[in-house]
Amino acid sequence: MATPIIMPKFGQMTEESAIVEWLKKEGDKVGKGDVLFTVETDKSVMEVQSFEEGALLKIIVPPRVNVPVQSTVGFLGTPGEPIPAVTPPAPAPAAPKPAAAPAPGRPAMQPITAPVAAAILPQSRMPAASPQAPAIFRISPRAAALARDCVIDPSGIPGTGPEGRVVEKDVRNYLRQSGYDNLRISPAAKQKAALEKLDILAVARAADGERVTLADVDRALAERPRAMSKMRQTIAQRLWQSVVTAPHFFVTVAVDMTDLLALRADLKAKGAPLTVTDFISEAVVLALKEFPDVNSTTDGKTVQWRSRVHLGIAVSLEQGLVVPVIRNADELTLLELNRSARELADKARAGKLGPDDMIGGTFTISNMGMMDVENFTAIINPGESAILAVSSTVKKAVVLEDRVVVRSIMKITLSSDHRIVDGAMAARFVNAIKQKLEDIELWKHLTS
Amino acid sequence: METFDIVVIGAGPGGYPAAIRAAQLGASAAIIEKEQLGGTCLNWGCIPTKALIGASEIFEKIKHSAALGITVTGAAVNYAAMIAHKDKTVGLLRNGIRQLLAGNRVKSFAGVGSFVDRNTIEIATADGPVRIGAKKTILATGSTSAMPGFLPKHPRVVESRAFLDLKQLPASMIVLGGGFIGCELACMAAMLGVKVTIVELLEDILLLADADVRREVRGHVEKNLAIRILAGKPLEHISADDQSVRGKCGDETLSADLLLCAVGRKPVADRLALENAGLKTNERGFIEADDYCRTAVGNIFAIGDVTGKIQLAHYATAQGIAAAENAVGAKPRKHETIVPNVIFTSPEIGSVGLSEDDAKKQNRAVKTGRFRFSALGKAIALDETTGFVKWIADDATDQLLGAAAVGPRATDLIAEAAIAIRAELTARDLGRAIHAHPTFSEMWMEAAHAVHGECIHAPPRRK
Repeated sequence: MATPIIMPKFGQMTEESAIVEWLKKEGDKVGKGDVLFTVETDKSVMEVQSFEEGALLKIIVPPRVNVPVQSTVGFLGTPGEPIPAVTPPAPAPAAPKPAAAPAPGRPAMQPITAPVAAAILPQSRMPAASPQAPAIFRISPRAAALARDCVIDPSGIPGTGPEGRVVEKDVRNYLRQSGYDNLRISPAAKQKAALEKLDILAVARAADGERVTLADVDRALAERPRAMSKMRQTIAQRLWQSVVTAPHFFVTVAVDMTDLLALRADLKAKGAPLTVTDFISEAVVLALKEFPDVNSTTDGKTVQWRSRVHLGIAVSLEQGLVVPVIRNADELTLLELNRSARELADKARAGKLGPDDMIGGTFTISNMGMMDVENFTAIINPGESAILAVSSTVKKAVVLEDRVVVRSIMKITLSSDHRIVDGAMAARFVNAIKQKLEDIELWKHLTS
Repeated sequence: METFDIVVIGAGPGGYPAAIRAAQLGASAAIIEKEQLGGTCLNWGCIPTKALIGASEIFEKIKHSAALGITVTGAAVNYAAMIAHKDKTVGLLRNGIRQLLAGNRVKSFAGVGSFVDRNTIEIATADGPVRIGAKKTILATGSTSAMPGFLPKHPRVVESRAFLDLKQLPASMIVLGGGFIGCELACMAAMLGVKVTIVELLEDILLLADADVRREVRGHVEKNLAIRILAGKPLEHISADDQSVRGKCGDETLSADLLLCAVGRKPVADRLALENAGLKTNERGFIEADDYCRTAVGNIFAIGDVTGKIQLAHYATAQGIAAAENAVGAKPRKHETIVPNVIFTSPEIGSVGLSEDDAKKQNRAVKTGRFRFSALGKAIALDETTGFVKWIADDATDQLLGAAAVGPRATDLIAEAAIAIRAELTARDLGRAIHAHPTFSEMWMEAAHAVHGECIHAPPRRK
C-alpha cells in the first residue's frame, strides 16, 4: 500500500501552507532524508524530508496551492503499487478567517498575529470580509469567442442579455466605443497578448507609437503585477496593521560610542567576539527593566505588561525581513546574548528559522549600522509598543568639555506606540539606553 | 562665413541621403566630400563589384546554357570592356547624385573637412581652406580597407579598391580573408577563369551566416567554381616579387599571381580634428553614436561605418535619414534595426533578423521552416535549383524572427522577409498571404508552411 506524504505542521500557529517546489518528480527514487519539497509558511521557506525510502508515485498538490496542514500532498511507495483514490484537499481560503475578538489577559507567549489581525480585518476591504459575494459574470459563447479572438477582457462589459448576460452585440458595441476597431496591432503582438492573457486594449492605451507592437506587449508583461511571496505579503499585512493601529512617534538621541568601541576592540583581541548589537541589546534589556511600560502591549483598552523580555532582532534577507526572537533575553549574560543572536542570525540566513523562532517578541532592535545611514525610523512590530532603530556609527566633531574633539557618534531612534508610551517616557527610556552605552565602567563590569 | 543648419561630412550612401533628407525638411544643408560623391559603396564597393559580378554570372550562365538548349561557341571575356562597363555605371550614378544634391539645393564642397570648434568646419579645398558654420553636423566619413602591417608593399598585393581598378585579371589569386568582400570577389574571379584560393584564419568562411547556409555556398564554390578554401589557418611568411606572391599556410606553400587582402575595414576619422569639437573616438577608432545617431556632443551626429555598428550601405542610409530628421528637430526616433544582409557570392546569400545560430546561443525556443529551390517549379524551369530559404519563428507566438536565403535571387528575395519581420508577422500570416505562381517569391510561402510541417510541395516529415 502506498504511503501518503503529509503536509507537516510548522509551528504552533500554522494552519495552512503552500508547496513552493517539488524537488522530486513523479517516478523519481526517494531515499530516506531526501528533500521531497519545500514549503512556504507565512514566515519562511522550509525543506521537507522523506522519512521513508521508495519512489514518488503521485503528486496530488501542485506548487503554489494553499492547503491545510496534515493534508495528503502525494504518495510514496514501490512503482506500480496502487494509489488510493484521493480528492485533492480543498485549497485553504485566500484570506485568514477573522479570529475571535481578543480577550484580555492572554498569556505572554500568545503569538501576536492573531489578536492584531482580528482587530484589523473587520474594517478592511479584504475579499473574505466582504459581506456580499461578487455577482456571477455571464457571457454567451459567441460573445466569449469574439472577445477571445480580439484578445480583450470582456469582464467589464455591461451585458444586455437575460440576467445581465454579455451577448455578442455588447462586445461589438464595446469594441466600437473603446476604439478597438481603429487599432493597428502587429500579428505577433496580438498572438503574444493572447498567449499571456493580456487585454490588448490595456496594452494599446500605453503603447508608444500608432501601432501596437511586440515591444508594447513585452512592456505590459514586464509591468504586470506579480504575486508577492507569502512572506512579503505577511510583512505587508503586519506593517500596515501596525501603522494604522499604533500611533507612532519618534525620539532620536546621539550616542557617543568611542569608549565602548575601544573596549570592544580590546575584548575582540582577547577573543570575545561581541558585536555592537550585543551591547545595544544588553543596554535595551537593562533599560526595559527600568521602564516596564515600554515592555507592554495594548489593544487600546487594556495594557498588558510582559514580565519577560523577548528581544526581536531584525535581520535583512534577500527575500525580505525576518525578526528572530531571543527568548528571555533578560536572563541572559552578555556572552549568552551574543551566542543566541548569532545562532538565530545564522539560522535566518540559512533559511532554517521556524515560525516559532519568530513570534512572541516584546521589543525589537533594527540595526542598520552597516548600511551607512545617518538616521532612520522603524515601524513597531504588531504586539509590541516600541522599536529601536540603530544607525551607523560615524566620526563627528563634537564639543566635549568646551573643546571640539573627534568622537564616534551613533544615532538611535525609538519609535513608540503613543497609546502606552508618552513623549517624556520615550525620552527618558532612550536616554537610559544612551547612558548605559556610554557608561564604560558598566561594560567593564559586565565583561570582567 | 556661410553658415548651414546641417553640414554632412562624407557623401557616401549614408551622407548624401542625410543631406537630401535635411534639405527636404527645409534645412539649409551642405555636404563635404574628399574624393568622389557616392563614397566607397558607389565608387569602390557595392556598385562596381555588382557590375563585374553581374557580367561574370552571365558568362557562367553561357557556359552552362547547353542544358537549356542554347549552344554558344566562342564566348570570351574582355575584361577591359567589363571594367569600362563598370566605370560607365559608376559615372552615371555619381552624376545622378550630383544632380540630386543640386536639385535639393544642398551645397557641395570638395575637400577634407575638419572641426575648428563644434560649430565651425574648415574644408581643405584645392583652392585653399574654406570655413563654414555648422549649427549641426552629421559625420558620415565611413571606413577603408584594413591592410595589416605584415603584408609586403608590392603591386601584386592589393585590397578591394585597387583590385577593382586592375586592367586585367591574374591567372591565379590568393584571397586573404573569407568575409563577404573576399568571397564575393573570389567568386567573381573564379567565374571568369581565375584559379582562386581563399585563406581564412577563423574556422570557416562567411561566419556571419548560419552553418547550413555556409555549407551550401562552400559546396557550390568548391565543386563548381573550383575555389580552394583553407580555413582555420593563418597565411604567414608572405613575400612578393616580379614572378609571384607567396605565403605559407600550414605546411603548404601557396603561390599566385596576386594576393587580394580582404581582412576587414577600419574607420576613417583621423582627419576630422574631433578634439576641437570636444569629441573623441573609442579605443578602436570609431565615433560612438546612440540609437538616435547622437554622439557625446549635442549638435554632432554620426552614422554609418564610422560608428562601428553593422557596416552596410543600406544601414548607413537608414541611419542617415533618421539622423537628418532628428537633427532638424523632428520628433526623435531611433534608427531602424532590422537590417537585411546580402552577399553576392555564387550562390547568393540573403539574411535578416535572428539567425538559427544566434537563437541557439541565446537558448531561445524557435522553430524553423525550410524549402529548397530544387522543389520549386520556377527554379526548375530556369535550371537554378541550388539552395534553400528558411524562416526562424518564435516557438510560442509563431512570430517570424529571422530568415535566410541562399540560392538564385536570394539578395532580392530577402526584402520580403525583412518587411515581414519588421511588421511582426507570424509564420501563419505569411503562409496565408497569396504569392504569385510561378515565381521565386513562393519560396517564402512554402517555407512558412514548413514551419508548421504543412508544406504542400514537400513530402511530410516522418515523425
